[in-house]
Amino acid sequence: MATVATDHYRAYAPRPFTRAERDSTTILFGGLHWRIERILQAVLESSGYRAQILPVATKEDLLTGRETADIGQCCPTSFTTGNLVNFLKKESTGIGVEEVNKKYVYLTAGSCGACRFGQYHASYELALRNTGLEKFRMFLMAQDNLDQNMGDGLDLNLPMTLGCLWGIFCTDLVQDLEYQVRPYEVLPGQTEAVVKESIEYLYQVFRNRPAMSTKRSVLWHLTTPYFARALREVRRKFSAIEVDRLRVKPKVKITGEFYLQTVEGDPNYNIHRWLEAEGAEVYPAAITIWMDYLLRIGLQRFEDYSGIEKHARLKLALGRLAQGTYRLTVNRLRRAMGNLPHETPSQFELRRLAAPYFHRNLDGGEGDMLVGKTLWSYHKKKAHMICELSPYSCMPNTMSIGAMAGVVGRYPEILYAPLEIKGDAEVHALSRCQMILTEAKKRAQREFDDTLQRTRLTEAEVRAYLQAHPEMRKATYLIPHDGTAAGTAAKLVLHVAKRMGR
Amino acid sequence: MRSAGSPPPPSPRNKLRIGIPRVLNLWNTHQFWMGFLTSLGVDPRNVVFSSDTSEEQGRQFGKGRGTVDCCYPVKCISGHYGELVFGQKQKLDVLLSPMIYNLPSFLSGHVAKTLTCPRVMAAPENIKAGFIKEQDAFAEAGIKYVSPFVSLDEPRLVPKQLFAGMREAIPGLTYEETATAADAGFRALREFSDRLRKKSREVLEWCAREDRACLMVIARPYHMDPGIGHEIEVDLQAYGYPILWMQYFPIDADLMDWAFGEDIRAGHIKSAFDIRDVWPSSYSSNTNEILWGAKVAARIPWIACVIRMSSYECGMDQPTYTPVQQIVERSGTLFFSFQDLDSTKPSGSVKIRVETITHYLEKYAAAIISRKKAAAPPGCPLRPAA
Ligand code: SF4
Ligand code: SF4
Repeated sequence: MATVATDHYRAYAPRPFTRAERDSTTILFGGLHWRIERILQAVLESSGYRAQILPVATKEDLLTGRETADIGQCCPTSFTTGNLVNFLKKESTGIGVEEVNKKYVYLTAGSCGACRFGQYHASYELALRNTGLEKFRMFLMAQDNLDQNMGDGLDLNLPMTLGCLWGIFCTDLVQDLEYQVRPYEVLPGQTEAVVKESIEYLYQVFRNRPAMSTKRSVLWHLTTPYFARALREVRRKFSAIEVDRLRVKPKVKITGEFYLQTVEGDPNYNIHRWLEAEGAEVYPAAITIWMDYLLRIGLQRFEDYSGIEKHARLKLALGRLAQGTYRLTVNRLRRAMGNLPHETPSQFELRRLAAPYFHRNLDGGEGDMLVGKTLWSYHKKKAHMICELSPYSCMPNTMSIGAMAGVVGRYPEILYAPLEIKGDAEVHALSRCQMILTEAKKRAQREFDDTLQRTRLTEAEVRAYLQAHPEMRKATYLIPHDGTAAGTAAKLVLHVAKRMGR
Repeated sequence: MRSAGSPPPPSPRNKLRIGIPRVLNLWNTHQFWMGFLTSLGVDPRNVVFSSDTSEEQGRQFGKGRGTVDCCYPVKCISGHYGELVFGQKQKLDVLLSPMIYNLPSFLSGHVAKTLTCPRVMAAPENIKAGFIKEQDAFAEAGIKYVSPFVSLDEPRLVPKQLFAGMREAIPGLTYEETATAADAGFRALREFSDRLRKKSREVLEWCAREDRACLMVIARPYHMDPGIGHEIEVDLQAYGYPILWMQYFPIDADLMDWAFGEDIRAGHIKSAFDIRDVWPSSYSSNTNEILWGAKVAARIPWIACVIRMSSYECGMDQPTYTPVQQIVERSGTLFFSFQDLDSTKPSGSVKIRVETITHYLEKYAAAIISRKKAAAPPGCPLRPAA
């Protein structure tokens, strides 16, 4: 029992990471998908850091996370804390705790919001304390600032930040194309190989970005053809893949909580791969869109304060300019990929669609964007089905899922599968998904049959046409989306019909 | 929402009947809403709060309206909405269910943010969905549903938000009177809190004078709802121990300086209301106050015991369990936690725990008080004579 005030409990305060330690200390990070992780590694390394990607979180990590932190965590917190702790424990057995504390620091994203994402530190801290690793240094990068106690070891300067940003843009585009291609590849495994090769190629591209001053870096990133050229090369690699897009597949859009929609592995039951194996074409969730949403949410403050706070309008105008530039940049890179990856939906449109069901300012997770994305996909025929990944015990996500009851009430035809992800209740979640997927498959088939009927074509005729036009069998051949069909096969029929003058 | 064809003439304001669900952060802002509406000319007798939460209320009025499984403080709101829509002898004109984004906390300015829980702020959208998914139950009952989004910790923004959110419900509402009414609301809330803090100080002074133990409840404001907190503190009070709620702890400068002066001088914190020493990401208002409550309880000798209440599946409380317990226990104060409160009162276990708590208090309170007194700085303002 304490007898003096100085004995009071104090929160974990890591020893700073200093500049002198840069060469001997490795920055650990993870929690995204392998493509972007590899590129972030390149960016860190090119800025003079040692960087190591944590392995993808596993069920074992989930259990460790649950055991070492307070009960009742949302599953992303359990996965990520357990993942770090297990990695460190394993390392400690090899080189000892002291050495681990010296050799590694962990850098992760936090947020400035009120959900546990903003309070991750508490779980990590407890988990580290409970495993005898309380001296290990962990730093939270909030969306608006870096952990104050970090020290001068990591300098998150502009060239590095822009490198990370451009890395996200590029890998989102590659991932998007990959998921459009793999279900239709003629030679199994070819897409996988091309993607691996492309990411390794991009790793070099980002690793060898020219060094530049902070001032120059903005202008350079915005104007350089460097990344567009690289993406054209990626597109060239994809063009070697032959596809059969007449395979009728339901298109399933992934939405949900940020971590679960982004990772690919045990934390989300490998849902991307599972859906593909079950015959779907997956429409993955881009990090670019999430960041566009964060920008929009940030700017809404100035919208609200317009007429109340001095300069709010000016700040809003500048912010809009930045957001416009952001979108222009993404579009420019998308063009380099032949406009094959999906476009980034307008945040204003998403907000407008969601407005009757979910207030635009309710943040903490993905807010109104989840509702907006579902309605956007539905109205624009972007997908047959929405698969929303909702972490067990998540606070913001339960709220938008609840609000979706109003949407589904109004549009009962939307195939909406909110999956509660606990991490260890796979059968339950996947069988629920399977049921809706069955319906989506029927819909995709119906849509395909109707399209053939409407265009007075037979599948054999379309096949013959494709046979005669080998360029159309390339993965990089663009099939336009006119908003009348969601399925790739149906869209291909429409396109062939148009070319045939039907 | 009335049918578009022939809108009936709007009720004059003093006749307007407004229902407010007595849930979540309404528990610590209700005085604001009363002050606000009264200033707009609404007759306070016509402001109807739903009853305390009860399972019966949920069964009778909320059945089949739930849209998602989550913590009980949110789930039970369907019953509150239902009671206001379907259970009134005299029909309501308006159902007012604000989306409260942030709170006017006494820690404002000393912490990063004062946001409400993501579920608290979004709950109205979530519950509304259960009332519109088949038919629009509000329109059918002739009730205008309004759910203004409001940042109560940003007073400059509040008139704009409330004007936008309420003008369809309050006939002839102008921006200027909304601003005046918001001021009146804040004033009412301040006066109410000040009154309760003064009372708490009297309790503490009595404890200090008599060297008697009191208990502090650390919970979210809605645990004051007998259907959510299950009146555990009332059971304890029956044994003669005064109860303080952390939300209404006295924050007078003399007391704060005595309790936190040393920490400030040692550089652990910048002010008495700074919690960076125990909780670096101070974004959530109620969470911040919970952490602060634990700190203050650890430093006041006569608080011999802390009772922590939490609802089952509370994502906000989850990461705070260990820090709060550690803060309290390291100071030698007794700590008891009721962690998984749900719809039903766990009467049996509450009874046993209450007996345990009182047993411990009888046995150890005097020693705890004297040990904490020995560790405290001199010149306690609660005992001016000492
Ligand atoms: S958004 Fe949900 S799942 Fe993600 S950290 Fe917050 S509470 Fe956890
Ligand atoms: S603070 Fe906890 S109990 Fe309250 S609404 Fe949020 S999750 Fe539910």
